Amino acid sequence: MKVPMKWLRDYVDIHMTAAEYADKMISTGTAVEGLDKTGEQFDKVVVGCVVSCVDHPNSDHLHLCMVDVGGEEPIQIVCGAPNVHAGMRVAAALDGAHLPGGVKIKKSKMRGEVSNGMLCSGPELDVPAGLYPHIGDAGIIEIFEDVAPGTDVKEVFGLGDDVVDFEILANRPDCLSVWGLARESSAVLNEHFVMPEIAVEENGKGRFEDYATVRVLDHEACPRYCARVITNVKIGPSPKWMREYLYGAGVRPINNIVDITNFVMLETGHPMHAFDLSRVKEQTIVVRKARPGEKLVTLDGKEHILDETMLVIADNENATGLAGIMGGEESEIENDTASVLFECAAFERANNRVTARKLGVRTEASGRFEKGVCPATAMEALERACMLVNMLECGDVVPGCFDDYPHPAEGKTIEASVARICRLNGVEVDGDTMEDILNRLYIDTERVGDTLTCEIPAFRQDMDSEADIAEEVLRMYGYEHIPSTLMFAKTMPGRKSPTFAFNNRVKSALVGQGMYEILNYSFISPKWIDNLGLDADDPRRNCVVLRNPLGEDTSVMRTSMAPSMLATIASNLNRGNAAGRLFELSKTFAPAADEGELPAEHQTLTIGLFGPGEDFYSVKNAVVWLLAGFGVTAEIAKGGDNYYHPGRKAVLTVNGARIAQLGEIHPDVAEKFDIDSRVYLAEVDVDALRPLEADFNGVKPLPKFPAVTRDVALVVDEKVEVGAMMRTIQASGGKTLESVKFFDIYRGDKLGAGKKSVAYALTFRAGDRTLTDEEINGSMAKILKAVESAHGAELR
Amino acid sequence: MENKLREIRERVLAELSEARGTSKLEQIRVSVLGKKGELTGLLRGMGQLAPEERPRMGQLVNDVRRAIEEELEKKGAELKEIEKNARLEAEAVDVTLPGPERSAGSMHPMNIALNRMVEIFTGMGYEVVEGPEVEYDHYNFELLNIPKNHPARDAQDTFYINENTVLRTHTSPVQARIMTTRKPPIRVICPGRVYRADEADATHSPVFHQMEGLVIDENITMADLKGTLDEFARQMYGEGISTRFRPSFFPFTEPSAEVDLTCANCHGAGCRMCKGTGWIEVLGAGMVNPHVLEMCGIDPKKYSGFAFGFGVERVALLRYNIPNLRYLYENDLRFLTQYR
Repeated sequence: MKVPMKWLRDYVDIHMTAAEYADKMISTGTAVEGLDKTGEQFDKVVVGCVVSCVDHPNSDHLHLCMVDVGGEEPIQIVCGAPNVHAGMRVAAALDGAHLPGGVKIKKSKMRGEVSNGMLCSGPELDVPAGLYPHIGDAGIIEIFEDVAPGTDVKEVFGLGDDVVDFEILANRPDCLSVWGLARESSAVLNEHFVMPEIAVEENGKGRFEDYATVRVLDHEACPRYCARVITNVKIGPSPKWMREYLYGAGVRPINNIVDITNFVMLETGHPMHAFDLSRVKEQTIVVRKARPGEKLVTLDGKEHILDETMLVIADNENATGLAGIMGGEESEIENDTASVLFECAAFERANNRVTARKLGVRTEASGRFEKGVCPATAMEALERACMLVNMLECGDVVPGCFDDYPHPAEGKTIEASVARICRLNGVEVDGDTMEDILNRLYIDTERVGDTLTCEIPAFRQDMDSEADIAEEVLRMYGYEHIPSTLMFAKTMPGRKSPTFAFNNRVKSALVGQGMYEILNYSFISPKWIDNLGLDADDPRRNCVVLRNPLGEDTSVMRTSMAPSMLATIASNLNRGNAAGRLFELSKTFAPAADEGELPAEHQTLTIGLFGPGEDFYSVKNAVVWLLAGFGVTAEIAKGGDNYYHPGRKAVLTVNGARIAQLGEIHPDVAEKFDIDSRVYLAEVDVDALRPLEADFNGVKPLPKFPAVTRDVALVVDEKVEVGAMMRTIQASGGKTLESVKFFDIYRGDKLGAGKKSVAYALTFRAGDRTLTDEEINGSMAKILKAVESAHGAELR
Repeated sequence: MENKLREIRERVLAELSEARGTSKLEQIRVSVLGKKGELTGLLRGMGQLAPEERPRMGQLVNDVRRAIEEELEKKGAELKEIEKNARLEAEAVDVTLPGPERSAGSMHPMNIALNRMVEIFTGMGYEVVEGPEVEYDHYNFELLNIPKNHPARDAQDTFYINENTVLRTHTSPVQARIMTTRKPPIRVICPGRVYRADEADATHSPVFHQMEGLVIDENITMADLKGTLDEFARQMYGEGISTRFRPSFFPFTEPSAEVDLTCANCHGAGCRMCKGTGWIEVLGAGMVNPHVLEMCGIDPKKYSGFAFGFGVERVALLRYNIPNLRYLYENDLRFLTQYR
């Protein structure tokens, strides 16, 4: 909320600069977003008097003006405005002036004639007509005030005041007003807050009831409704001081009646509405819930279809406005408006908020109502508006008013303990100081011993417990007084959760393999899932869908992390990073069967390798080594999702349960992600891996007897898998076969087409003796027989 | 024979002193002491000598033999040393030649920062607890004193799954889950992913990470909160870094504070990073609102507590001088490979 310092100073003495004041407010909890000055958009623009004005010799529309800008001699300025004439007072931008939109004025020649500046129009200075009424639509600004040439035009327009931009948090709607901020400032600065004396001169004829009827049918959604009638209205500009205040607060001045409603809203925090009474059908206002399907055109020209939860302002038949949100077109204030009904009401915040959201209409008024407007002070605000009508002499206030407030808000009393407040805050503040602080904040407080009895004023809707009192005391006493202590409490075992600890170990293992961790959004485009070419009934096609995503690209929670990894690889390749080893460990989400339940969240690891040196076996090893680190050995078999290369994919299972799949990405899928090189992925189910970690409970003693190693080369058909033969060897080698290691594969003409020779190193050892040649030969014979019958293998 | 022996001795010793290389030594050894060597031959010819001559001559031959052997050994060691030195010299490598390239690997900077934070707090006796990222409105808002249709919800633009389910907007719902299921004393931190409907820019991301802390016990004070965060600041950013509390508002704490840290860049002197203030806004914190305690089944008359919530990305940005939050989610290897 923007507030001109001048306006605040009307109600509280602030003996310091705006910046010092802002610091004080910040340190006591009123956030300040920034400090501005009005009229900062331009400089070096002064009042000039056009001494002479003749036609430019080389142009049919430009004029040569001699302008007195307060210097010794008038200066020549070329001007093209049709309304420029001798004797006119103008706004002259001098050489070196800065204008809005980055325009810089320089002395120059225009069609051969020197121009020492520019005579400005309203838009060129970004000064609205509402602020300075003599800003017309056509041509340059004419200044009618008798001001000396050379005077800064900001003085004429009432610009140059400090403006504080406050950020009012949700707990302090009372500070969304000049009075509220002045009151808060008075407490902070320990100065008096002086409210104007509210006194309305009811100078109109008749009584309110003679002019209008108001009926409130829903007191829950409209706890208070106040109204007054003004007759003999004379629409015109409001006075300069009011225009300046409004402009400084960021509100465009329009006319006296509208300006009064805006002024009162800013000053008191109560949104107001002005109806042109003659345009209100039968001069009747009904506050009621809308009928289902009822239609309404608001003053922005939009048509809305309403439902029965929405509060409307209506005549005897139809809705004419959205209560507390936006008025209707029909009863808008026009230049010929002669009688006005002022509305100052309190609408219930949740109802107002829901309606505004449903209809997608948010206004200054609705924003205030949903934050909470205090019903207790609504009448005061209305009277302030009428007082201003008196002051501006823009109409007659009809005696009597309408005020429907069946359930006046009750004040709250909070009892608090001085000792408990000190204990909670960790700051020792004595009872007298607390009492003084609270009273300064208009919280009437009496202390008896340790007990503070605090009467909470109606405008402090946020306060309802001792902790609130503690905070008021602390923020006014000063947060800088909070000491720094460590708690005196029971010792607690600090530890990581099993998931957090395990995930970190997985990550460390992968970092050890030279991989970099990446982070991707958890929501992705549904197209990415499509790109994987999953079967129509694949569960991963069923995603948790966001109701209000930022865009289609981030609209579903990922059921697979493969697309994010592929997109990351694509963007890296695009940026010239030709090789990389990446991993991401995060969650995938699967919708619950029952809508009321939360989705299943699954810890998933994705590895992505690309670039020279990477192949199927590097990604396979990455996973095998990772598992080995947790003492897990998996069965590896051909298979996996269709988005992998059909001949280069594998699934890893442990005890029949699948824990990973890996392989080269299918070129068709890679292409869909704009990748034209080979990339290798692995996907590991971390939740399935975690419980498989083998308990490491001791080392085996080192062997006492020597081992014997025999190399064997076996010739088999190309289709025989190295791993299958290895399993046969292991199964047939007997107890003394300690290990089988693959070490070479050979293909050549001598073997014949479709054949390969696979070499293994077999290590034999017995725990209790040195093996003899005969024993080993016996084992070898069994092995050879087994591989021959199982795989047709021949010794090479 | 004596002459012959003398001649052999002098000749062989001369030859040995001239020898250049261990293979030459071996050649000499074989020609003199080998099976068919000269001295071996002489020894074999002893049988032809008169028996009384034999002991003396035997002695002489052995003397010569010992002399040659000693010299062989001495010379051998000398030559081996020379040869070894020559080999070592020949084997010298260009130490500036790069070895085979190997990717170093690292965790993501956000997680490096998060792990450091977790270490600091687990060291102070906090337990890591986690919760779901897709969360009930009840835990994300209502138990934290943010009822439906309350304007405080505006501070957090929320992604909805349905009427009652949201992508958690903060890690605070984990607090609520802990408070409703455990009894004090409670001392936990809750790191994790959170979501806000903000477009990505230099300081915002729709997905980011928070680390929440919660302490509930008897006699916990705001000063304890300050002490705890001061200790964190020192461990995370170094000695001389402390906190500044400013009053603020969060529905689930009362009193509440925005917490600034001494700017680690200028140590409080004022610089561009802290916009000349010497302080950087890092987190929100406060004393757990008694309503929240009550709603979660904890007696606010007996217990008090504090809660704080870090934006982990923000901590990482400050710790590693990262100029733009977007870097963290672009996963560009040129960025990722800078961390260790």
